[in-house]
Amino acid sequence: MSENSPDSSGKIGYVVLGATKAEGGTRTVSFRLGGESDLPFIGMNTGQGSIPLVAFEICDDPEYWSPIVTSYTGDLSNDAREWAGVAEKQYGADIIRLYLTSTKRRGFDNFSSITTVMEEVLSGTGLPLVVEGSNEPAIDSDVFQRCGEAGEGERLLLGTAEAGRYRSVAAAALAYHHSVLAQSPIDINLAKQLNILLREIGVKADHIMIDPYTGTLGYGFEYSYSVMERIRSAALKGDTDLAMPMITSATDSLSVKEVREADPAALEDIAVEWEFYAALSSAIAGSSVVCVRHPKTVPLLKSAFRELWAGKMPGEA
Amino acid sequence: MPTVTFLPSYRKITVDAGSTVLDAIQRAQIQMNVVCGGQGKCGKCVVFIKNGSVEFDREKFGRFFTAEELAQGACLACEAVIGDDLHVLIPESSLIQQQKILMESLGIETVFSPSVWKYYVELSPPTLEDPSPDLTRLVWGIQKQGGPLAEKMYAPLDVLRWMPRVLRDSGWRVTATLALVPGGFRIIDLEKGDTRSEIYGVAIDLGTTTVVAYIRSLADGRIVGIASNYNRQISCGEDILSRVNYARKNGLPKLQALAAESINLAITTAANGAGIDREDIYEVVVAGNTIMTHILLGIDPAYMIEEPYVPVVRRYLTTAAPRLGIEVAQDASVFIFPAVSDFIGGDIIADVLASGMGEKDEISLLVDIGTNFEVVLGNREWMFSCAGAAGPALEGGEVLFGMRANPGAIERISIDPITLEPEFQTINSVKPVGICGSGLIDLLADLLRACVVDRTGRINTGIIHPRVRQGDHFPEYVIAWKTETGNNKDIVITENDIKNLIMSKASILAACITLMKQAGITRNELSAIYFSGAFGNYINKENAIMIGLIPEVAIDHIRNIGNGAVEGANMALINRKKRKTLDEIAKNIAYIELNAEPSFMDEYTGSSFLPHTDLALFPRVEKMLDECRLKKIPVGVP
Repeated sequence: MSENSPDSSGKIGYVVLGATKAEGGTRTVSFRLGGESDLPFIGMNTGQGSIPLVAFEICDDPEYWSPIVTSYTGDLSNDAREWAGVAEKQYGADIIRLYLTSTKRRGFDNFSSITTVMEEVLSGTGLPLVVEGSNEPAIDSDVFQRCGEAGEGERLLLGTAEAGRYRSVAAAALAYHHSVLAQSPIDINLAKQLNILLREIGVKADHIMIDPYTGTLGYGFEYSYSVMERIRSAALKGDTDLAMPMITSATDSLSVKEVREADPAALEDIAVEWEFYAALSSAIAGSSVVCVRHPKTVPLLKSAFRELWAGKMPGEA
Repeated sequence: MPTVTFLPSYRKITVDAGSTVLDAIQRAQIQMNVVCGGQGKCGKCVVFIKNGSVEFDREKFGRFFTAEELAQGACLACEAVIGDDLHVLIPESSLIQQQKILMESLGIETVFSPSVWKYYVELSPPTLEDPSPDLTRLVWGIQKQGGPLAEKMYAPLDVLRWMPRVLRDSGWRVTATLALVPGGFRIIDLEKGDTRSEIYGVAIDLGTTTVVAYIRSLADGRIVGIASNYNRQISCGEDILSRVNYARKNGLPKLQALAAESINLAITTAANGAGIDREDIYEVVVAGNTIMTHILLGIDPAYMIEEPYVPVVRRYLTTAAPRLGIEVAQDASVFIFPAVSDFIGGDIIADVLASGMGEKDEISLLVDIGTNFEVVLGNREWMFSCAGAAGPALEGGEVLFGMRANPGAIERISIDPITLEPEFQTINSVKPVGICGSGLIDLLADLLRACVVDRTGRINTGIIHPRVRQGDHFPEYVIAWKTETGNNKDIVITENDIKNLIMSKASILAACITLMKQAGITRNELSAIYFSGAFGNYINKENAIMIGLIPEVAIDHIRNIGNGAVEGANMALINRKKRKTLDEIAKNIAYIELNAEPSFMDEYTGSSFLPHTDLALFPRVEKMLDECRLKKIPVGVP
């Protein structure tokens, strides 16, 4: 990577997810992501960066979840606390990503239930949390406020901020010292613009993770790859508005035609296959955290990353 | 057949059932505001059905109206289909109004060197001893008066036909008008007596929207009359694509006639104002965009709007005025500016001529903003150009209260960054009814300074202030309360309006940056940015940079050349030597097709931010923004 390395002045900044007791939280582990000064994987032998982490996605209302997952997990998905614990202990996830799908219900206004779910999940797992709030601007402020408050001190990653909708999530993150998941639609300029918007209302660069929105394989992944590569290259050339670690979600994999129309007997294997390779590709493209939904995908990714990372362990903060 | 009665004039017209109300309006020759050419997109052709009913999809087009307006029978003329007799009220706001047009161009000195002349001769009548023919007698006489060599002159048939009568009726005292043509001089007119002072030429800017005419004496070069009017083709669609589409549907003869009619109207007005006879206008110079000049010449413009976008002709053309229907002296010639491409037309060549950028060593950028925009970058040695559609937002289209620069338009506005109270001035100082391009630029710049909008242009609805509110469809900022407006409505700018404005400005800025990158030029190397077009004269330069309409340069490097098209046409009219250089200029300008430029979309996205994603390109704005933010209470918690 001679184009970047010799005169590169930048490096990816750090973002810390999770807070242990010593750090003022209740997590059993926290992660310091970022720190790379080269393209993905390049330079890992000299101690740069950290091995990609796997976040397992759960939700508080499985009605909005893929039946491919819920038919595998059965009743477990009705109990977010237990599900989080199983994801940590049995699946082997590094991070839990909680989707507050209950807020999708029409006219949702039971905001105290958010606090309850947050508390349950925090007690069910010691892993750092990514929390996805509502999809409805009208209730954003209330939802993010509850999430932020319930997770105070835990250094959550709150999502999702978009260019048209970032104030509520940023406000909650600022008030309770969490980080913000900043998602933009596969475009380096839009990614940068969102980070500028967040910076201009006070969110620090070390509290932002970029979600470049990767979609999945077969959706034109080469475009995602090239945007992620450009984001990384710009950061390495000193563009501090793009020098944040990336997080990606391969969940579109579960709804591609090949999976939807798969023979029921083979469906689970095909789903896992799609999710695994999409997440793996995202990690190769530079994602520090990959998020998946099928439990069987987690150990496959963990083992692949260990192989790729020459046996090195996640860098702990 | 249904009869449509228009109110308030009570003009009646009969049309076929199934016609739209707009068809009826056009047939009644009422000049309606049709920005989109009747596609139901712009929402400007509002009418009220007062008696009878029409077929109109209220659901689909409801966004253009308030509930109250719908209750009063509001609909879009272009989408309302007539079934039976009707009374239709056309509100004044839907009519094309008198527009404020830039008339005074900057005076640039140029050599007076016309291409038509008048010679007064007193000839001796033929005798048996001297029986040489009339024409020989005339050309010898002209040569003796210091005119061209006799053998270089010739007369067309029509002049020969009336020559014997004129010579004899005048007692052999006549004034001949000579025009320089390839290979010699043509006698284009012969008048009784001495009419040497009555020789005029006219420079025309044939714009998509307006036509401007300057009449100059070709005896001494001075301006004797100026006039302008709308291009009457507007009734066939407001933007250039609608015109081409109209031409495609067998509308070319009509468009050609309307182009000539528009020019004739401007010439007549200017001539009447100056008290001169149109018959004494011997030369017409026309600068216009490539599609306009094709249409004026009656050449099919259709192939210019489809791949691979080819004009029929690029070089300059001369023809006889009557062949185009231009009503001046019968043998007058029309000179039409050359073009670079289908998108960079004679108007831009005229801009380049008027700016003088093609004669300088320093590099300049020229931006012509109108219905479409064109950008030229370069110096005497090289030039790059590109063109694109900026959308109508900067001209007031696609903006809820956007309007042209008509009376009542807010043309200047500032907002107090602390109280968020606006202060504005309107054209003709009447109560505001809308906001025009220059006002929109001021507004956007100050909304940004006051942190009412963020750098994507989104309104911060967390601000608790009566002027910042959620409108029917989008968040909005109230510019004027209905108690102070001329249309009894709150005048607002919505987040959607701002989005359209940003899309417009982004395409212009991205075009500038793309050309600069192609040439390897940074903003520090620009010695000047020239604004051409009426727009440039009215906008606040600092605010234009604040929102990132153009690259950031020192304010005193930004110059308005006014109506560059008519200025250039004037130069070519009075200095024929300039005409020779035009084809050269046109050939030297390389055209960059933005659609074929892979980096353009990237630049566009980067430019779709206020002023740009990369503030390093706008150091002065960055400082201003930092200062503005310091003045505000830290935002964060809405």
